[in-house]
Amino acid sequence: MSFDVAAVERAAAQVTLKLPRVPHRGRVGDVRSASVGSSMELHDFRRYHPGDDVRHIDWNAVARTQELVVRVRQEEVSPRVEVLLDASKSMAVSEAKGARGKEIAAWLCSAAQRSGLEVVLTVLGATPRRSAGADCRTALLSTVLDGVEPLPAVLQRAPPLRPCGLRVVVSDFLVEAEPRPLVERLARHAAGTAFVQVLDDEELSPPRGLGAQLTDSETGEALERRLSDAVVDAYLLKLEAHVAQWQLAVERVRGLFLQVSAAAPVDVLARRELAALCEVA
Amino acid sequence: MTALTPLGLLALLAALPITAAYFLRRRQPPRVVSALFLWRQTDQLAEAGAKFERFSREASLLLELLAVVLAAVYLADLRLSTPQTAPHVVVVVDGSLSMRAKSGGQTAAERAVAVVLAQVGRTPGTVATVIESGLKPVVLAGPRADERRVKDALSGWQPNQPAHDLAAALVLAREMSSLKEQRVLLVTDGPVPENLALPGNVDVTSVGKALDNVAFVSAQRHDERGLTRVTLRVTNFGTESVEVPVRLTLDDGGVREQPLSLLAGKSGVVRLEVGTGGPIDARLPDDALVEDGRLTLLPASDAPVSVGALPGLDAVAKSTLERFVAVAPAVTSSATPALGVGPPGSSAQLTVGAAPPLSSFVGPFFALKGHPLLDDVELGGVVWTAGANPPGRPLLSAGATVLVSEEDDGRLHFNVELARSNVQRTPAWPLLLMNAARQVRGRLHGFPRKQLMLGEDVRVVTRAQVASALVGPRGQKRQVVGAGPLVLPPLSSPGRWVLTEDGTVVDELEVMAMDPHESNLTGRGPFEHVATEGLPLASEAAQLPRSRWPLLALLAALGLDFALTASRRRRPAEAGVAS
Repeated sequence: MSFDVAAVERAAAQVTLKLPRVPHRGRVGDVRSASVGSSMELHDFRRYHPGDDVRHIDWNAVARTQELVVRVRQEEVSPRVEVLLDASKSMAVSEAKGARGKEIAAWLCSAAQRSGLEVVLTVLGATPRRSAGADCRTALLSTVLDGVEPLPAVLQRAPPLRPCGLRVVVSDFLVEAEPRPLVERLARHAAGTAFVQVLDDEELSPPRGLGAQLTDSETGEALERRLSDAVVDAYLLKLEAHVAQWQLAVERVRGLFLQVSAAAPVDVLARRELAALCEVA
Repeated sequence: MTALTPLGLLALLAALPITAAYFLRRRQPPRVVSALFLWRQTDQLAEAGAKFERFSREASLLLELLAVVLAAVYLADLRLSTPQTAPHVVVVVDGSLSMRAKSGGQTAAERAVAVVLAQVGRTPGTVATVIESGLKPVVLAGPRADERRVKDALSGWQPNQPAHDLAAALVLAREMSSLKEQRVLLVTDGPVPENLALPGNVDVTSVGKALDNVAFVSAQRHDERGLTRVTLRVTNFGTESVEVPVRLTLDDGGVREQPLSLLAGKSGVVRLEVGTGGPIDARLPDDALVEDGRLTLLPASDAPVSVGALPGLDAVAKSTLERFVAVAPAVTSSATPALGVGPPGSSAQLTVGAAPPLSSFVGPFFALKGHPLLDDVELGGVVWTAGANPPGRPLLSAGATVLVSEEDDGRLHFNVELARSNVQRTPAWPLLLMNAARQVRGRLHGFPRKQLMLGEDVRVVTRAQVASALVGPRGQKRQVVGAGPLVLPPLSSPGRWVLTEDGTVVDELEVMAMDPHESNLTGRGPFEHVATEGLPLASEAAQLPRSRWPLLALLAALGLDFALTASRRRRPAEAGVAS
């Protein structure tokens, strides 16, 4: 199962991304920014400081208050969408999982571009890379899921996150760490965050009865187990608890947590599990 | 209980790894996961199993252990009682044709069989290994066959071998003896040849008798233009002069008879011309050795070979070729010939011509001795004008110039400029062309030679992608493996052999029981030689044949184990759950 470009295009053609109802920051456009600027819409008044544009002095206010007061106007920006794709080896435990992660990231980029939004893609792999605009598609096609470090460690090395945009993180979030600090960090300075968890079918419902030497995709650590009903049930309980922890942490930052199965095609996911991220055009 | 081969008990050591393999935890197939921490549990050790897991396949293990025990019993040759030994007799019987000489209503071969059976029957339980001597010794009975099997094996025995060396059979007999020092009995029909160095442990007994015999010693048949010439040489291997009628039976039922007076030890020749194209049977009156007085002469393999000139051949060469085709027997002219004659540089089977610079030679000519293309070719008085050397292996040369050459694929090159030579006006030229045609005929499908002497290799040309076989006069069948020109080992018995392809007869040949040495029975007679060393003939060192029941039981146990394991695998699959 490889990267299905047609399915991505199909899924992106019908939708536009939902933007958060908080100010954005980005290119000049038709959405109000959180920063001051020079649009016609008044944002605030403040005292004049040397260096301020004298054209912004509100002479009526000066007349009324006998103080130099400048009008602060809100900047008009085009909103930014930042997609973070976890490119660790755990995302490649199956071909379907690897392909689906990339397809969801591509879908987000494509849908954002169709909506005229500025798109930034950061691939968090062995060598974190950032691409923007039309390069995102090319970057995704050439992405190798080869990271072996956990997500928090990769974020340390990654380019700084862009503030004030919609930030979507695509990962399996199967990190043996407390999710709250990581989620807070991922949500910091973002206007809105969404966490898309991609899990393989066998991760959601492991086969029972077989014996297996389980090997961690990233650390190489091995564990020999008989996948008896009891063992699989215990695994599912732990997975459920782990996901619940992540959901709680995401709710705390008012983000959106979406879990998808890699078994479903991306256009189906866009209509179902990922529908919360977009609006039908 | 006694183990006759105690080292075989080492097989029991196999039980250790088998048992260990059952108890040791099986290595599981690898599987890559994203989050190993989710699979860790506090009771992990208990779940994974310790180094040893619960033993759950008792039946399978027990069957495999039983198989190991049975293998050890078989290999160690375990006996319940004290070692039961049986006398083992190793006998070599002379397989030469002369053993079929009849005297007093009994052949030497029948007397030899009686000797062998007497040896085997002397002590109850005696086992025997009987070897027939020949160009290639053959084990007729055994090794260590009991009396009944020896009887069965020798009941239809008919020796057919030409004169041969007995040493190979004696070496084989020694190798098949229970002990190196064991004595071997050689049963023949006369004194052993002086050039045979008898080993010290060989007893020899002769069952032959000195007899008079008249036999064919050579036979020729020549078919040409509807006329068949038969030449037979008959020898009187007797002590008195005889007059024998030589009787020829033609395929149309006609009979020709010619009397022949032969002095003792002398030969006479019978020449007959008949107008038949079919097989001809030649008979002498029945005497001591009937087989050497009967033969069948099949028509010679004279399938016509088509010869033709290919485009580009010069006029002189073409004219000589036409003259050759007009007079040569079994050669026809064809536009798509088997033997195409073309100019030098062409892909013809035979090229005739020379490329400048030309040189003329009157000799000396150097020929590759024995090559069939140069058979009977005399080059005295020949002026041969040749050009640049043709490709291939030189067959005929003068100085540094190659006059005739042959390539690996059989293509021939005559490097001759006929306009400046006289070779085409000498007998050498038609002979060269005839020999070339004969070479082409030799590559045609079937037997190139229809008559073979006993012990002669068989030449045959077979086709690819068909199942070829040789079927003998008594229905014996020998598969022919390979395609193209083949040389096969001698055929086992005289008479008519046919070549079949996918069951269809395509050609036949006659193996003639002609061997002057075997026909000469005057030197046969009583002979005894007692071994100078070695254990008694029926050595007590040999034990009864190894029992086979442990082997059968072992196979049964393994089969049962396989069935058990297969059913265990099937059951979970049927239930949809892998175990």
